[in-house]
Amino acid sequence: MTERPLVRMTGIGKRFGGVHACRDIDLTVRAGEVHALLGENGAGKSTLINVLSGVITEYDGAIELEGRPVSFAGPSDAQRAGIATIHQELDLVAGLSIAENMFLGREPRTRLGTVDIRRMRRQATDHLRALGADLDPRRLVGSLRVGEQQLVEIGRALSLDARVLIMDEPTAALADAEVERLFATIAELRRAGVGIVYISHRMAEIEVVADRVTVLRNGSVAGSVDPKTASRDDIIQLMVGRSVDALFGEGRNEPGDVLLDVHGLAVTPRRPTPGRTEPAGVDLSVRAGEIVGLAGLMGAGRTELLETLFGAGGSGRRAGQVTIDGRPYRPHGPRSALARGVAFVPEDRRGAGLMLEHSVTDNVVLSALSTLTTLGLVRRQAVKRTVAGQLSALAVKAASPAVATATLSGGNQQKVVFAKQLLTRPRLLLLDEPTRGVDIGAKAEIYRLLHQLADTGMAILLASSELPELLSLCDRVVVLHRGRTVAALPRASATQQAILAAANGDDAKETR
Amino acid sequence: MNSPNPTAVAEAPPETPPRRRPIRLPQDRHAIVDSFFRFQSLFGLVAVFVIAIAVSPVRNGESVFLSSGNLANIVRAVSEIGIIAVGMTFVILIGGIDLSVGAVLGLAAVGSATLMVDSGMAIMPTVLIVLFIGTAFGATQGAIVARLGIQSFIVTLAGLQAARGIARMWSGGLGIPIAYGDGPQEAPQAFSMLSGSINGILPVPALLFLAIGVGALLVLRSTAFARHVYAIGGNEKAARLSGVPVRRVRITVFAISGLLAALAGIIHAGQLNQGSPNDGAGYELDAIAAVVIGGTSLAGGSGSMGGTIAGALLLGILNNILALNNIDANVQLVVKGLVIVAAAALQKLRPRIA
Repeated sequence: MTERPLVRMTGIGKRFGGVHACRDIDLTVRAGEVHALLGENGAGKSTLINVLSGVITEYDGAIELEGRPVSFAGPSDAQRAGIATIHQELDLVAGLSIAENMFLGREPRTRLGTVDIRRMRRQATDHLRALGADLDPRRLVGSLRVGEQQLVEIGRALSLDARVLIMDEPTAALADAEVERLFATIAELRRAGVGIVYISHRMAEIEVVADRVTVLRNGSVAGSVDPKTASRDDIIQLMVGRSVDALFGEGRNEPGDVLLDVHGLAVTPRRPTPGRTEPAGVDLSVRAGEIVGLAGLMGAGRTELLETLFGAGGSGRRAGQVTIDGRPYRPHGPRSALARGVAFVPEDRRGAGLMLEHSVTDNVVLSALSTLTTLGLVRRQAVKRTVAGQLSALAVKAASPAVATATLSGGNQQKVVFAKQLLTRPRLLLLDEPTRGVDIGAKAEIYRLLHQLADTGMAILLASSELPELLSLCDRVVVLHRGRTVAALPRASATQQAILAAANGDDAKETR
Repeated sequence: MNSPNPTAVAEAPPETPPRRRPIRLPQDRHAIVDSFFRFQSLFGLVAVFVIAIAVSPVRNGESVFLSSGNLANIVRAVSEIGIIAVGMTFVILIGGIDLSVGAVLGLAAVGSATLMVDSGMAIMPTVLIVLFIGTAFGATQGAIVARLGIQSFIVTLAGLQAARGIARMWSGGLGIPIAYGDGPQEAPQAFSMLSGSINGILPVPALLFLAIGVGALLVLRSTAFARHVYAIGGNEKAARLSGVPVRRVRITVFAISGLLAALAGIIHAGQLNQGSPNDGAGYELDAIAAVVIGGTSLAGGSGSMGGTIAGALLLGILNNILALNNIDANVQLVVKGLVIVAAAALQKLRPRIA
């Protein structure tokens, strides 16, 4: 530790209007270390990262790179200096292939000056293989699932041969197996002397991967700790400024009658879409008041199953039986699903959940407009009352219901999606990664909300890549593998090992 | 490979002058700024109106521009484009475009003339049939867009050609003059009221434009349908997953655009006393210009009907005052282009907050 740090940021401050996003923050990153940055949404992590990666060019304070003062004119400037960033908001071009995305703006050339497509594909494949992802580099990024896109984004950062790597929630959309491979890659980078700034909301990851932890709160450093010695509670307390006891609920009511019953559900798509795993034999049931988890690796078909149940999946021939309250259920589209009391919170909040440029009010009432209109005319007062009620019930923090939804933090945006769906008074709630990219405080509130909803007799089917989330939240965990259910583990016998084994397809045939 | 680019590592950063953010206002003033941008076309309309008064030629000590005859001319001249632009606003709000409206106007003008003059039909059935044709044409385009997922630009470009072709086949390629009277080959006299005025002041087409504009404004403000329109333009996928009947709304929107284009065609026939298959060429672009000047985003999801109405009037006043000052028609086109760019540039400056 005698060598000088790779990056030294001193006295970093940044104001947006009258608000301090960062105030007098010091941060150092040494070569070969993983420095975790923690904090609730709005604590200043993103601002700090944007300063380091050249996105923000006006700020107070100074940055030194290997002892030399630097100031970047823009992100590409920072990249040339050896600072690469994996952004939380995936910024890939959907219409270009994986390889084209990874080498965008710095395509390898042939002697004739044309793009060396073969070299580009080969290198892309190599970088992805290193992450354990076997993806055809010719595939369009738009056809990839979110988790796969995240791997491409990570691969791109690796291909830059950066000395400083900033990872903003790199695992948010990854399943556990992918996370492990990513950690192996991080270990290699660390040996190669790369300094890594690692942001995540997942405490368990931090404990595994980080050498040092700096916690931000309200734009300032709340403290620095050694993850080897500090307890999880200490860190959480630093983050929220108070102790969060019992993140997860405990005693629950007895579940009621079977509400959703799925038997042998399979969809044969008219035209198979690469990257989609349609249901191929799903058996499961959810009782009223029960929370059932849906586990599985990326590409196991969790999202596709939920979409099919919501009538939003791909078109194709459907086999099997689905009933709600014992009556056949075959939604033609989201509208008919909502009419049967089924609501869906999609995985991709920005792409599929919200109209970001529209007001919070517009978003909240969208699904339930029919209950707020007379002869097609919207009842303004009723809308106002309803929205105010929903926002306070879910404790959504917004300056006013009239602000653009994009101005809210990730957690609050997610609560807006919930508010919208709950306004339709569903009896079955389908959730796809409901706490993705949500800070720990908001996460706890969402968990509490789910328990409350279950206690009112709502049936909840929840897909998540976070095993601890499934284990602590769900009464049962159903495991998918290649579109079919391979295990249904009651709370008592559900363990990480059991779920992972089933998700990997181990002994699926022998045990069943 | 890992060595830093020397240009990236500035040795003396304080030399670079700090760039200031142009807009930093306290909250209450922010609201003023925002409402300026929201109603920019209204401010633009007032500004153009004031300028027009200032530069108007004066005859017998009176402003030519402000004479009631001239003002009536302006509103009469903008009414057809205005009505089309109202329909176009719905289409653009869902993130689409309708290039077929000018051709549909021509088709409707031909239809009106043919049905009354050649087929000897009365006014009411003629109007209903023509409006039905326009609506059906729009709805068909909407259905193709919604069902096959083809971009509306392409579908309505094809529709433009098709409507123009149908109009030429129907009319034999020639304009059909409308004579009034009770005899054969004559249209009912009452149809000529479209070229008249109420109390000799307010032209009938302007009244129709006003009524439709206000009606559409109310629809856009307070109906669930309008919320669905905005939602589709804002994020179609989210709208679909929220239970918005995306296809139905989309078809309806194109049907409205076709209906209003047909209405403009009827007015056109009434004003010119003829129906020609070449009528309305290029009107779609003027209508789009009015919508854009009105502050509606071509990306969909944001905009207002009030803006479109103001935008149409602004274009009309602009044309009028340039013509009054004997400025070459070709210069008029250039000025119109500049105004469109200026309006779009203003929207870019709009600070994003509310």
